[in-house]
Amino acid sequence: MQIAGQKIEEHLIHERPFYLPQKNEIIIAEAAYKNGIPLLLKGPTGSGKSRFMQFLAWKLKRPLITVSCHDDLSTSDLVGRYLIRGGETLWMDGPMTLAVRHGAICYLDEVVEARKDTTVVIHPLADDRRELAIEKRGELLTAPPEFMLAVSYNPGYQSILKDMKQSTRQRFIALELGYPPADLETEIVSHESGIEKQLARLLVRIAEMTRGLKDSGLQEGASTRLLVHAGLLIKDGIEPREACRVTITQALTDDRKLLYAIDEMISSVL
Amino acid sequence: MKNGLIERLQKVIPVEWLNDWERDEIFSHLTYHEPLVEKAVIEQLGIIWPISSALCFYFLDHLKNGLACLSTEQLPDWVKGILDVYEADGLQAARRYMDDVEGNFLCRIRGEKGLTLAEIIPKLLPYIRGLSRKTLDLQPSASLHTDTNTLFLPREITSPANLSHNFYIYKLLASFLWAGIEQDIYCQQQTDPETLENFILSFEDQKLAMACYHLLQTVRVADFLKAYLPGLIRDGQTFFRRLRKEADLTDISPETGDGFAAVRSWLLAHCANDPLPELSGETESIIRKVVASDTHHKEVFAATTNFYERVRCHQEDFTLPCPLFFQGELRPQEARMARLSRREEHKQQFIKALAAVIPSRSAATQTEAEPAEKNQAHEVSESGASVSPMHQDGKKEKPEEDRQDDPRYICLDDEHLELPEELRHVAREIEDDLGAVPSFYIASASQMAGGRGRASGINLQPEEGLPLHGGLLYDEWDFRRCGFRKNWCSLIEKRIVPAKGTFVSHTMEKYRGQILQLKRQFEMMRTQQRFVKRQKDGDDIDLDALTEAYADVRAGLVPSERLFVRLQRDERDIAALFLVDMSSSTEGWVGTALKESLVLLSEALHSLGDRYAIYGFSGMRRSRSEIFHVKDFTEPYSEEIKGRIAAISPMDYTRMGPPIRHFTMVLKDVDARVRLLIILTDGKPEDYDDYKGEYAIEDTRHALIEAKAAGIHPFCISIDKEAQDYLGHIFGEINYTFINDVKKLPLRVPEIYRTLTS
Repeated sequence: MQIAGQKIEEHLIHERPFYLPQKNEIIIAEAAYKNGIPLLLKGPTGSGKSRFMQFLAWKLKRPLITVSCHDDLSTSDLVGRYLIRGGETLWMDGPMTLAVRHGAICYLDEVVEARKDTTVVIHPLADDRRELAIEKRGELLTAPPEFMLAVSYNPGYQSILKDMKQSTRQRFIALELGYPPADLETEIVSHESGIEKQLARLLVRIAEMTRGLKDSGLQEGASTRLLVHAGLLIKDGIEPREACRVTITQALTDDRKLLYAIDEMISSVL
Repeated sequence: MKNGLIERLQKVIPVEWLNDWERDEIFSHLTYHEPLVEKAVIEQLGIIWPISSALCFYFLDHLKNGLACLSTEQLPDWVKGILDVYEADGLQAARRYMDDVEGNFLCRIRGEKGLTLAEIIPKLLPYIRGLSRKTLDLQPSASLHTDTNTLFLPREITSPANLSHNFYIYKLLASFLWAGIEQDIYCQQQTDPETLENFILSFEDQKLAMACYHLLQTVRVADFLKAYLPGLIRDGQTFFRRLRKEADLTDISPETGDGFAAVRSWLLAHCANDPLPELSGETESIIRKVVASDTHHKEVFAATTNFYERVRCHQEDFTLPCPLFFQGELRPQEARMARLSRREEHKQQFIKALAAVIPSRSAATQTEAEPAEKNQAHEVSESGASVSPMHQDGKKEKPEEDRQDDPRYICLDDEHLELPEELRHVAREIEDDLGAVPSFYIASASQMAGGRGRASGINLQPEEGLPLHGGLLYDEWDFRRCGFRKNWCSLIEKRIVPAKGTFVSHTMEKYRGQILQLKRQFEMMRTQQRFVKRQKDGDDIDLDALTEAYADVRAGLVPSERLFVRLQRDERDIAALFLVDMSSSTEGWVGTALKESLVLLSEALHSLGDRYAIYGFSGMRRSRSEIFHVKDFTEPYSEEIKGRIAAISPMDYTRMGPPIRHFTMVLKDVDARVRLLIILTDGKPEDYDDYKGEYAIEDTRHALIEAKAAGIHPFCISIDKEAQDYLGHIFGEINYTFINDVKKLPLRVPEIYRTLTS
């Protein structure tokens, strides 16, 4: 019986990812890492949660294994399963096991999307036991001090079916990553898309306006990611208003009146 | 000739109504016209004179203008239009209407309709709210102005260009008004609200001073907009250019034009991105001062004085031109009133909300601490020393660049108290207004909270009497003693007699399109199909599972039996109970909207197949809490149910605790994976007796905690305008939503249900 698997080195991040801290999140995350406490990142979509994890992994010089959660994610998808290869059975580590074995950072993105019975697997791993039971192999792994668990979710959904269980959430140190302040966001957009700062500032202004629409029926305002998309299109020579229309307006809503209002914001600013 | 005219005029206007002067005035206007035209005009005078003689003279003034493009036959219709505008918006509006015969009258009879504000509010409102990030409102009005709470825009805009151009004009006007507020042209971010008015009063010719101030501020605002919303100004280049041409401001040289025309010309050229006119050194320095990025209102005041003197000495008999089209009117008094009312509102909100979060101290320490606390409250209201707004970094004054953050902490008796989200927001608004949260706000809140038990105890003393018997008995939470009043409320279930009428069919007709859409959306939720893997039996083999099982066998493990996939319709195992507020305050609009939303919801849920029940609640005093049976979980949605929904009508008060406790019991016995208790209400819990304020809120909150403990998800949909401050406390941050526009309720409720359960 062999153990197959991905090479952990592939998950190492060699180049410094571009990340500008909003507050003290890096210090707190490092302290959490040092003390072996898992991390919960809260924040609206596209506000830099995943990028933050990449940066952290680079800073701690640990490999980062990211799992995007969905409602069909099973426990064996996380822990691992047997495969057959050439008449031989072969154990294949799941991402979680891989991370525990090698002391990597395991990041479960959008953890609320996973079924609740799946997320329970992380419980023993997320408290002071720091253990992962691999039932099929009868193996109990204890995580080395370098291992870190991090999950993320977006509290804005307001769906009772997509809320985290108290027993899960109370195991984490929670960091809220909102949209960055205007100056910082301008810098991010300009750096990521390669557009002028002045133009980036205008894009950020549009985003700020859409974020003011929450009471008017927009679930979430334009995220930093959308601004980067818009910037990339503009950089590629697409007319700025058109670029924003396809990346921001249409991405945000289907409501005709809101579409109209957002388009008007764009044409006012750009 | 003249005699004939007198006779003809007398037929429509009795001679005693006119004095000589007026008669001569009329004659002077009429003598130039042909007999046929004259006859038609005199007829119209007979119509206008009884309504307003002043309007009559304006009409004569504009007659030449009007007849230049109107035929005699069109005259009666034009007059009709004038009178309509006069009656709706007054004399000035009628004058403006007469000014533009082409745009206001001829376009329309040619079928080129203008754009009305009512049509575009749904689009313009989100725009302006997004822009301002405040709840600014829009209202139609005869003149363009703002009181800093509401933007008053023209009822209709007709311009020869197309409709999208008209929308642009609306957007431009609204943006200018907003930018005026943003750039603080009403001097509201200063602590003394009367600065602007006092400043204007200090001039001899106040009208001119106001016009000067307004023009300079418009220059400043336009300059700000050009940088902040470059697209908006750029799109308007032709518009500004045309305006400049029409106002005859294109050729201004430093020698000829008075300062006023020069500044206006500069402003329009600046907006149109045209070459700027050459200005005299002094005018140029005034503009330069005003548009400097860090201009303080004191500097604008100084520039205004300067400018005023210049205009005055340049020309003694200077006549003020009409303000530019997008300038509108400056009404500092209205702005001041609006600001005061807003301040009072914020004060009440802040004190109430803060009092709710200040930790209540135990009764014993309270009595001891009472006098001291009182003294202290008194003391701080004078010195503002020990109770002061604090920020996270401990500094009392926020640095400028930190303005985006709302204040987060309040220091109270050396104790830092973190503010909840809504309170932070209010505190921010107060800070914007007054510079800092006045210490007596905090003092009164602390008094309110400290004296909670004692002061409110007077009217919160329970009615004397033994616990009740009969009906269903429920406990009630008394937050002051942190315990239940046993068997305190009696709850009676009543049936509703179905109403015969057209309410439901009307609603169905009114929302026909939306109901179809809702049904389709809800049906899509029902038919959500998916393959479930790893089943004991099913439609197909689960290859993943099989491979795994095979591997397990080879590895010497016991393989799983679950090797099939099955196509499964997602079981929506949800039971929802809707609890509708039937208190007397729902009378009218709110009640209708609530009922309409129930109809829409029932239609939608009917197509979805979720189990649901509807009950109403009301009552008066603890002895008579009532629930009204509309539909239980087992009843199908039928004509009978529709009749009952139609029969829902306002009753008495809103004692929320007992019905919540009752339906917690009911829902507990329903076998469903998700159990929802959705409360539709229009206000705070309140009853005729002592069930008010803190007590009512705390009891309701506790009843909901009990519900949550029983595995039920409560959710509140509220249409209370002040809802933000207490709903979060009662229901928990994410378990409520509030709808500020009653009209939207019927469509929003099913939508909320959909997001809640998907």
